Amino acid sequence: MTPSRVAACEPLGPYVQVRLEPTFPGGEPGQFHMLRALSHDSFLARPLSAVASDASGVTFLCQPRGPALAALAQVGEDVEVLGPFGHGLDARAAGTAPLLVGGGFGVALLAPLARLLPQAELLAAFRDADAACAAELVPSAEREIALPPANVLDLLAARLPSASGVFAAGPDGLVRAVAMACAGAGVACQVALEAPMACGYGACYGCAVRLGGQIVRLCVEGPVVAGERVAA
Amino acid sequence: MNASGTLDPLAARDAGLAIDRELALLVTKTVTPLAREGNEAPRVCEVEGGMLNSIGLPNPGLDDFARTVLPAVRALGRPLVVSIGGFEHADYELACRRLDGEAGVAALELNVSCPNVKSGCISIGSDAGETEAVVRACRAATRLPLWVKLSPNVADLAAIARAAERGGAHALVLTNTLRGLAIDHWTLEPLLGGVTGGLSGPALKPVALAAVHICREACDLPLVGVGGIASGWDALEFLVAGASAVQVGSAAFKEPLLARRIREELVTLLAQRGLAGVGALKTTTLD
Repeated sequence: MTPSRVAACEPLGPYVQVRLEPTFPGGEPGQFHMLRALSHDSFLARPLSAVASDASGVTFLCQPRGPALAALAQVGEDVEVLGPFGHGLDARAAGTAPLLVGGGFGVALLAPLARLLPQAELLAAFRDADAACAAELVPSAEREIALPPANVLDLLAARLPSASGVFAAGPDGLVRAVAMACAGAGVACQVALEAPMACGYGACYGCAVRLGGQIVRLCVEGPVVAGERVAA
Repeated sequence: MNASGTLDPLAARDAGLAIDRELALLVTKTVTPLAREGNEAPRVCEVEGGMLNSIGLPNPGLDDFARTVLPAVRALGRPLVVSIGGFEHADYELACRRLDGEAGVAALELNVSCPNVKSGCISIGSDAGETEAVVRACRAATRLPLWVKLSPNVADLAAIARAAERGGAHALVLTNTLRGLAIDHWTLEPLLGGVTGGLSGPALKPVALAAVHICREACDLPLVGVGGIASGWDALEFLVAGASAVQVGSAAFKEPLLARRIREELVTLLAQRGLAGVGALKTTTLD
């Protein structure tokens, strides 16, 4: 376990950017850490993915829906950190015209990948303009934001014929639909899935997801998986 | 040692955590005769005082386990306790015969107490007659020591313990999880895909401690205590209650190397009381 502390909190729409210092390995885009705020002392840590890391700290995007996450979003909070865990997004498969497709909170996962892929275009879906603030984290010059009734899958369909690869993160229904669309178009795709996690390192068998007719541990097989496994 | 179903030492190593090095014995996840997918997600949720799990015994099945998992875990160099589960007596007997004589296996832990399957396991361990019969059948099928893991969700644990002893058990593991339910405040639906699950963590500790005490009074078998252990003090309480050894489970999820801290704290606590070791507390030990 690595001890760290919340050095700064910056609201971003319904979310909070939480910066932990001192730094620790931030991992690859799409990997995750297990974080636990010591003042709340929850029984289980919470999985979060880093949106940025540097020599002095690591930043996460947090949606403080419950007391454990709310405690994480407090400046001065002592935090225990495990990780990084899991398989991340592989930028080597991007090609010359990659697409980053994100939904809601999942857009944060795409931020560190966007720094590695300046040529990538961001297509993001949010429930409202307030939540769309999260797109500010992704430094892609080219971007399209879909707010209801617009559908990000329509934006994707228009671009798939010229895309070299797709990276998707967000609600389960969205990323599975992206995987299906990419499979149909013959475009390589990586998706970041989510599941409730108790341990993060393969011990509890709790983070079960169905991939290609099998139930697998997401912390061991993912959280980033090849799109064809999701589309199967 | 770890509680069954709370450690995959190979996956932990892949994640950079050499947890196996902190444990005297490694207890495997329960293996059943045929492969099982396990229950639908969500499988875990946090509750006041711990967590609920409805994992549902996912495993590759006995043959695949013996062929691929067992050699890989054995290569870590720790003695293994293989947890076996089933839905009828023949399942346990089959596992005993298959694993009898397997190198590296120090004991078999009979899971007659998992609450997350539709039949078998806990339905066996809730009945004294069934428990005795399963243990007796297993005793005839293997020379390996048999540890019987019991459920706290029974009306007369002493009777179950005596039944296991009559059947030929070598030790009891106390306890498996308590059956529980949690409701999602957003959806007003059960939080777990399996609806109910097993409660583990601090809330289970008083129950498991009482189980150790009850079984210490009821039978002469060595006891392994498990349930909410997260510190040297917790471990010491189980030893005082009558256990000879302890298992650590869900408390390690947030602190993977917890076993090391527990051992260090326990040594300190015993030294503070002028005791040379665990043996000075107890007269019964696990061989």
